[in-house]
Amino acid sequence: MTIIRRDPQAPHCPPVDKKRELIHVDCASHTYPDGSVGIHDMCFYVLKDEIVALCGPNGSGKSTLLEHLNGLLTPSKGDVWVNGRSITHGERADLWKDVGVVFQRSDDQLFAPTVLDDVMFGPLNLGMSHADAKAAAMSALEGVGAADLVLKLPNYLSGGQKRLVSIAGVLAMKPKIMVLDEPTSDLDPLHSERVEALILRFKRDYGISVVIATHDLDLAARIADRVCLVKNGSVFAEGKPDEVFYNPLLIDEAGLTLPQTVRIYLEYCKAQGIEPEQRPIHRHELISALQSS
Amino acid sequence: MSSTMISSHIPDLDLITSYAQREGTFFSRVSPWTKFTGLLLVILLITLTRNLLICGLLYLIILGIYTFAGLPVKKLFAWYTLPVIFVISLVGIMAWTEPGTPLFLWNPGPFTLTLTDNGVILIITLLLKALISVTYSLFFLMTTRYQHFSAMIYRIFPTPLDQIFLLAYRFLFLTLSMTGAIFKAVRSRGGGIIHSIRVQGRIFAEVFALVFIRSFDRAERVHLAMIARGYSGKYEAGTEIPKPSLSGFFVMGAFICVIVFIVMRVPNTGGFF
Repeated sequence: MTIIRRDPQAPHCPPVDKKRELIHVDCASHTYPDGSVGIHDMCFYVLKDEIVALCGPNGSGKSTLLEHLNGLLTPSKGDVWVNGRSITHGERADLWKDVGVVFQRSDDQLFAPTVLDDVMFGPLNLGMSHADAKAAAMSALEGVGAADLVLKLPNYLSGGQKRLVSIAGVLAMKPKIMVLDEPTSDLDPLHSERVEALILRFKRDYGISVVIATHDLDLAARIADRVCLVKNGSVFAEGKPDEVFYNPLLIDEAGLTLPQTVRIYLEYCKAQGIEPEQRPIHRHELISALQSS
Repeated sequence: MSSTMISSHIPDLDLITSYAQREGTFFSRVSPWTKFTGLLLVILLITLTRNLLICGLLYLIILGIYTFAGLPVKKLFAWYTLPVIFVISLVGIMAWTEPGTPLFLWNPGPFTLTLTDNGVILIITLLLKALISVTYSLFFLMTTRYQHFSAMIYRIFPTPLDQIFLLAYRFLFLTLSMTGAIFKAVRSRGGGIIHSIRVQGRIFAEVFALVFIRSFDRAERVHLAMIARGYSGKYEAGTEIPKPSLSGFFVMGAFICVIVFIVMRVPNTGGFF
């Protein structure tokens, strides 16, 4: 894969591998009632078994796009296809069964009196019996390593615990795609690492495709299979992390800063007066790149 | 002072819930149904009797149980401020019109107001009744885990009342926390000091408006998050409530007998007997 730059004037998005396609946002636009543009001629897709990172600064349209994927918003122009169904043409009633959304602020998501009640909420809405919903909730809580919180009140959880419970609340519904808005924002390093490990496990162990919206390029570099750069409501470039992040002009155009690994390597090469021959993204890659050069 | 505490005279929801979740007392293990039945019986008794001695005794017993349960007594007395103001504002005028032996005469202009012994007894009786219900309610809330309390609401109240209660409680926490945060922000920049009623009134109005706007905004986002998980208007509480024990039935049975005895045998007057 090479970096694909989008032409904002193009009438249609480029074709997608239909066999693996789970989500396809086809030139979708959304304007809020106050006239502000959320997304504009957005082209975006998610394939089976991949982790996609939507990277862009605040207000670039990432969260608006995420809300389209679950049918919470519908595009005012263009179309959004989820699992072969068009949400624009009224087929969004059961969309939440396929696409689970973990919101940026856990306090917006945890509304039930107890952790168990909150995690059972989704499975009960799926029509599960009380016992099955409880089993699904317990399994999800164990999956995220928060089974000990089951009887706690959300109000007394730490920020990191709230995030884990929010994720469990979506995982309990066994979605095909999981969408996480700023999954590690406001978390301490320990909980950030836990959430990061969980996202990788969703793909590996549960076969769930994951979309994350973030302006933390270090996170995107570590976990994403594909990175989409968002600016002014559109994905303007996309590619593999090493291709995107080793293009400083592109990152600068997106209004972001290079991931730390990339910055260290590029600065090292500059200081040594050598051409960067490799593209280390992960820490272990950086170490071996530095050792070899 | 907990993060959500606005004034020491307003019951602190955070503290109340933390006591309930702590389960550090014998009464925490008593079935919530037993304690709830107790609450209903207490309200029944104070509704049926006007006897000052009965009200006084009942208040002392409930205060004793509250203290024995290890609940914060000093805070309880601070929390009495609102019910006391409420009762006095209601019966403060009525007390002057009660027939009985005059204790105090007041002549504001052409009128003569007389405070009688029955007027004083009326104030004390109603105060005791208010404090009994407040103390027992707080005892109930502070010894019952919230998941049991919410499940009881779900079982007792019809839809949509149960839904409103279930959703309101968590939202109340968030709103209180938000209010606390705004007050902190106001105080941190020198606000909140009484310069004048006008300035103070404006600050309160601004805080109220801000809380209202933010709450509305947050409610929308919570609703959106619920829809994202398939919410269609019905939310079920999933917790099992412990059933009453045999001894619980016995205690409640005995309490009913006491109420029947009081109603049948003790004169229902405004006086001591």
